[in-house]
Amino acid sequence: MRRRSGDPGLQPERTLLSWQRTVALIIVVALLYVRDPFQSGGSNAVAGLDPPQRVAVAALAVVVSGVLIAHVRRRWRACGNEGRDGGVGWVVAPLARPWALFFVSAGVAGFGVVIAAGAVLD
Amino acid sequence: MSAPASPASGGGRGSEGAEPDYRFTLANERTFLAWIRTALALIAGSVAVLHLVPLDWAPVMRMVVGLALAGLAVVISVHAPLRWIRVQRAMRLQRSLSLSVLPVVIAVGVALVCVVVLLGTYQS
Repeated sequence: MRRRSGDPGLQPERTLLSWQRTVALIIVVALLYVRDPFQSGGSNAVAGLDPPQRVAVAALAVVVSGVLIAHVRRRWRACGNEGRDGGVGWVVAPLARPWALFFVSAGVAGFGVVIAAGAVLD
Repeated sequence: MSAPASPASGGGRGSEGAEPDYRFTLANERTFLAWIRTALALIAGSVAVLHLVPLDWAPVMRMVVGLALAGLAVVISVHAPLRWIRVQRAMRLQRSLSLSVLPVVIAVGVALVCVVVLLGTYQS
């Protein structure tokens, strides 16, 4: 849906920021996953996957994040929303295309499954 | 996507009904993203318990808590897009929104995990 926006609630911009928070959190969790345990040896931590595999999973998460943020930024810019004055451009709703929503869901679900599987198969 | 002619309609098959107010659509999208962030927070907890933080729990306790958190995260991330579609379609057809059971499920799940954590801490 497109229309001229004089939105006093800055809804499109809030949605963009929401996407950015989500993507930032994906990257934070991926980095957390790469980190080695705080205490090597002695603790009975479940080892999970080996470090190289964990790095690969995290790299995949970063790639997914890049795709998402590029898509959302492109949509945002295509509507002429570069000016930070509360949307002088057009409004697109939803901000991301539906495939992006499924993409991010699949990514998060896959991440959860990988972590669980790594712990179980250890 | 810079095809200005096509209305970006999301959710619901085709585009039956009327396009809802864009603010409602954006709010629906933000709700979806909030669910995704909740799932990511649970995943972070799972990673912490399973292989980051030194805990002197029984290994089985660790496993139960870690897997429960990861499982809740997977449930949320499967449910979130389905919920988004359902809400979008309801708005298009101007029907009332159905209540989601997910908040209750997650609340109970997290409460159970808390109980297990308490047990794990005070049993050792």
